[in-house]
Amino acid sequence: MIDWSAFLVVAFASLLSSAVVVSLYSLGLRLLTTAGRVPVVEPVEFTGAITVLTPKRAAKEAKRVRKAAASPLGPVQKQVALMGAYACFVLCSAAVLYGVYLIVPALHR
Amino acid sequence: MDFTLIVALVIALALIFDFTNGFHDTANAMATPIATGAMRPKVAVGLAAVLNLIGAFLSTEVAKTISGGIIKEGDAGVQITPEIIFAGLIGAIVWNLITWLRGLPSSSSHALFGGLIGATIIGVGSQAVAYDVVLAKVILPALIAPLTVGIVAFLATKLAYSITRRDSGKADGRGGFRYAQIFSSSLVALAHGTNDAQKTMGVITLTLIASGMQDVGTGPQLWVITTCALAIAIGTYTGGWRIILTMGRGLTEIKPAQGFAAETSTAATILASSHLGFALSTTQVASGSVIGSGLGRRGSTVRWGMAGQIGLGWVLTLPAAAIMGAFAAGLALIGPMGIVLDLVIGSLVVALLFRRSRLNRVTHDTLHDIDDAGRVVKIRKTPRKASRSDRKKVAL
Repeated sequence: MIDWSAFLVVAFASLLSSAVVVSLYSLGLRLLTTAGRVPVVEPVEFTGAITVLTPKRAAKEAKRVRKAAASPLGPVQKQVALMGAYACFVLCSAAVLYGVYLIVPALHR
Repeated sequence: MDFTLIVALVIALALIFDFTNGFHDTANAMATPIATGAMRPKVAVGLAAVLNLIGAFLSTEVAKTISGGIIKEGDAGVQITPEIIFAGLIGAIVWNLITWLRGLPSSSSHALFGGLIGATIIGVGSQAVAYDVVLAKVILPALIAPLTVGIVAFLATKLAYSITRRDSGKADGRGGFRYAQIFSSSLVALAHGTNDAQKTMGVITLTLIASGMQDVGTGPQLWVITTCALAIAIGTYTGGWRIILTMGRGLTEIKPAQGFAAETSTAATILASSHLGFALSTTQVASGSVIGSGLGRRGSTVRWGMAGQIGLGWVLTLPAAAIMGAFAAGLALIGPMGIVLDLVIGSLVVALLFRRSRLNRVTHDTLHDIDDAGRVVKIRKTPRKASRSDRKKVAL
C-alpha cells in the first residue's frame, strides 16, 4: 500500500528543480558581476526592517562595486558575460514556469 | 439538532480553521523577504494573499486524500456523520489554541488530522480509520519531507555560495539574491495554497459526503474550492499585519543567498508533494529547509537540544489532537445536548483565539517556529576572515 517510489519522486523532483533554479540564478549573478554590473540592492527603509544600510556600509558597498567593475575583461567580453547573465535569468524563470505548469492538471486537458 | 444545521456548523468551523491557518502561515513565506528588505511589507503580504488564493485552485489532490482516503466513508466502511467531523474540528482547534498559548511548536495540519482520527475512533470505531492511508500520506511524509527538504536546501545553499564565490575579495553580487527572494517567497505562498487550503476543502467535502449531499469518491465542488481559497487568502492578509508589527523583535539572521536556496527547496518540495496528494505540514517543511540551508553555510554547527525540542513538539501534535477530538466526539455522542456543549466550548475557544489575535503581543506562532528552526543552526561569525588568515599561514 505504501508507495515508496512516490517519496523518491518527490525527493528527486525537489532536488532537481531546486538545483537547476538555484544554479541558474547564481550563475546569472556571477556573470552579471563579471560584466561589471554588481547588483546592489538598497534595503527599503520602513519600521521594523532589520537590514538598514548605514552610510558607512553604503560607502563600503560602493567601493566594492567600483573594484568589481574594474575587471580585466574587454568591452566585448563584458557584453558576452552580460548576455550570458540575462540568458541564465530567462532560463531560470522558464524552469520555474515549467515546474508550475507540470503540477496544474487543468493545463494538461 | 437539525441535520442541515450541523452541516452548516461544520462548514463554518472548517472555514474558521482555514482562516487561522493562513493567519499563522503568512510568515512562512513572507518573513524573510520583509526582513532582508527585498519587499515592502504591504506588497509582500498582499502578494502572499493573492498567491494563496491562486494556489488553492491549482490542484485538489490533497483535498481528495482527506475526503476520500483517511476516513472510510463508503459502503465498504462505516458511515461517518457530520457530528463526528464537527467533534474532530473542535478537537483540532482546541489543541491549536493550547499549543499557541503555551508556546509549543505545533502543526495545524497535524492537529486537524489528529482531531479527525480521534473523533472517528471514539464516534464510529477504530475500523473506520484507513490506517494505511494515514501512514502513507500523512505520517510518513511528515517524517520524510523535513529531512529531504533539509538535504535539498543544504545542497542548494552550497551551490549558491560556491557558484558566486570570488576568492579575490571582489564583490560577489550576492545582494542580487534579494531580487530572487521576491520570486522564491512568492512560490512558497503559492505552494502553501496548493497544500493547506486543500485540507479544509477535504474536510468540507467529507462532511458533504457524510451527509449524503455529495457522491462518495468525488472531489471538492467549485463553491467549496472558492470559499476555502478566499478564507485562506483573507487569513493570510490579516495575519500579515501582525507579522509586520512584531518584526522589530528580530528574526534569525538569514542571508539573501541562503534564504533564496531555502525558499526554493521549500516551494519545490511542497508543490511536488501536493501534486502526489501528500498532506504535508508546510511549517515543518519550511523549518527543515531553514535548518538545512543554515548548515550549508560555512562555520555552522547544530544545537541538537533545540532541534530535539522542535521534533518532540511535532511528534506530540497528532496524538494529542486525537485525544481532544476523541473527547469532543464522546460529548457529541450524548446527543443534541453534547453537540451544544461542544459548540459552547468550541466557540469559547474561538472567541479566545480572536481576542488573542487582536493583541499584538504574540506569545508563540509560526513566526517563532521558523525562528526556532533558524536558531538550531549556530553560525560562527565572520568565518571568511578566519579562512583567509589560514590561507596566509599556508602561504608563509
